[in-house]
Amino acid sequence: MYIQEFVEAIYLGLLVLYIVFIATFVRFASRPPKSKGATTAEEPEKPPGRMERKEKAWLSILIALAILGNGLLLSPLVPSARTGFYAPEPVQTVSVHVENYTFYLPDNPVVLPLDEPVEFVITSGDVTYGFGVFRQDGTMVFQLQVLPGYLNRLVWIFDAPGLYTIRSTEYAGPNTPYMVMTDAIQVVGGS
Amino acid sequence: MAPMGAQEKLALRYVLTSLFFLALAGLEGMLMETRLVGVLTSYYIPERFYSMMTAHPFVGIYGWAYMAVMGAFYYLVPRVMNRELYSERIARMSYWGMVAGVLIVWATGFFLDFGALYTLYWPLPVLGFPSTSLLPFSIGMFVIFLSILAFFFNMFATIFLRKGGKEAAAGAPQNPGDPGAGYVAKELLITAFSLDGLRARLRRMKGYAARVYSFPVFVVGVFRGCVDTTINALIMAGTALLLFVYSLSALLGFGLSSTLVDPLWYKNVFWWGLDMIADGNVLIFTAATWYFLTPILTGRKLYAENVVRTVILADLVVSFGVWGHHMMADAPQPLLLLIEGQIVTWGELVTMGLTMYAVLMTIWLARPVKFGVALTAVMLSILGYAIGGSGGIIQANYALNRYIHNTMWVIGIHAHIQLLAGLTMTIFAVIYALAPMLTGKALNGKLGYLHLLLWFAGALVMGVVWGVAGVEGMLRRWIYFDGEYTGYMTVGLIGGLMMAAAFSVFLYNFLRTYGAGAILVAFKRAEAPAAP
Repeated sequence: MYIQEFVEAIYLGLLVLYIVFIATFVRFASRPPKSKGATTAEEPEKPPGRMERKEKAWLSILIALAILGNGLLLSPLVPSARTGFYAPEPVQTVSVHVENYTFYLPDNPVVLPLDEPVEFVITSGDVTYGFGVFRQDGTMVFQLQVLPGYLNRLVWIFDAPGLYTIRSTEYAGPNTPYMVMTDAIQVVGGS
Repeated sequence: MAPMGAQEKLALRYVLTSLFFLALAGLEGMLMETRLVGVLTSYYIPERFYSMMTAHPFVGIYGWAYMAVMGAFYYLVPRVMNRELYSERIARMSYWGMVAGVLIVWATGFFLDFGALYTLYWPLPVLGFPSTSLLPFSIGMFVIFLSILAFFFNMFATIFLRKGGKEAAAGAPQNPGDPGAGYVAKELLITAFSLDGLRARLRRMKGYAARVYSFPVFVVGVFRGCVDTTINALIMAGTALLLFVYSLSALLGFGLSSTLVDPLWYKNVFWWGLDMIADGNVLIFTAATWYFLTPILTGRKLYAENVVRTVILADLVVSFGVWGHHMMADAPQPLLLLIEGQIVTWGELVTMGLTMYAVLMTIWLARPVKFGVALTAVMLSILGYAIGGSGGIIQANYALNRYIHNTMWVIGIHAHIQLLAGLTMTIFAVIYALAPMLTGKALNGKLGYLHLLLWFAGALVMGVVWGVAGVEGMLRRWIYFDGEYTGYMTVGLIGGLMMAAAFSVFLYNFLRTYGAGAILVAFKRAEAPAAP
């Protein structure tokens, strides 16, 4: 299972949860409370900015979620964070130039090792492009933006051998959909 | 229909025009979707497809959402503040400015094939498109943001000047000490950021309640949201000016070099400004609207009313630091800014979570609640924001952004669900709640439910299926020539058709209730009051 498919599964679970919650909420909020007068009374006036216990508890849950989410996503548990934040020393560097809606690669295909960090250094000669690497089944391996006037670097570790396609993942004008190079990268190694 | 005053007519005019732009944006969206399904391929050459994709968000966001919000606020803010609108003349000018600006932008796409998209990433607009199309586009864009600035000035002046409108127009003096724009700006800054409260806290002044507590929660949301949107309008107007200068210089034969502008700096400033609305103002205005409508619709005081002003302030502060989540795929972006953008974006989970909590608690404590059409729209908008917002949080970090940036996930799961299920439902809630106030007659309830549920379901079907296609690798802003994702896009088209059907139900309901004459009334000038 690719990471984005894992994320999708979590998301769809959340979606169902939200719908069930709102539907249940509407159903129960349409009914009168069991103990009469328990909830209909107005809250007493409170000083500005003063939170009550229930609000504080909910705020704490939200903050905890934010800390947990950030901690997880900044940790090396996700492969892209591992190669991004904790960039390992690359064993190979591939220089790519993009100009006038064309990718210029050092070889065709570019042969890269499996399970080793490789560095892409990509430049643009005119406008902003994208550089996305895709598997044979069409799913994306990774992408980055290619800004003109900058060296756009990314270290990546391929975890499966095979041929990969590249596309511009950023709109660069009406010719963008023609910016496809099928089987531009070949990852070799392993058993 | 009850006779309407000038302000009611003005609000109705804005809302009706916004509905026209919603229909136009929807039509554009449907046409693009049909291209992605593989129909109309000979007509939709890439130039045409991308020019439509450029016009679509301008028409949808500025023509629909902004104009609807403007109409509602022009009506509600003076009523809630119990005072005159500062200037009806400015309100009429900003109306015509918005209409003209949106139509110019749309026309540059339709007639001149200008297609740099709303992102306008430097230097694509100046290198990729002729100056003859860039020039009118930049003018249209400038007019839109100038009109927005005029609207906000009108709002700020209405809120912070104690006298205005007719008295000011007649030359009557303002209150001494609050005479003009300088006063408004000072009051705005102090109140929007609670600077007086901060000073009191630093000086340990016990029992001091900041000025912001003297304003109704809804109004606090309006002016704090307007701070975000003013900054946004200034940045966008600046962008339009830059494009104007470049196109004019090229037309005059001394074209400026595109390298004079750094693409990374440009992108940072652009997104900083754009996110003031995309992640700031939208959430603040939505919160303000929920806070306003829920007590009216449930007959109960807003839960935690003493706290929600602070939540709105937190939203405002967060909106200043979220733009970095749009730069996660930009390798030259400093690492610190990437991490900052990610962490601050999670702040939206906290502020929006608190807002939803306050609204849901208000409803819960008011039970048994009758979920009329307007309150149902509020509930659906909460659901829409929860669904779309979760998609946003998932993508707005360095690690996962690497796998889904610029795929259909971003535009489907996040942007369109957020806009069509979250924001649009909020606006529909306002329309259903305000319609009886403006006209003295409510829209039909059964048709209202049908409209809302069909629309929401359509938005969800379209957004989710786009997201699934994104996970499968489908890029946004891409035309697939070999029918790779036709199946997904066909389901998306069905979702779009459901929304079109829902909109037709709404129009039928409107015309059935008020008749076509209501449109004429809204566009007819108010008669001058009879002489005493």
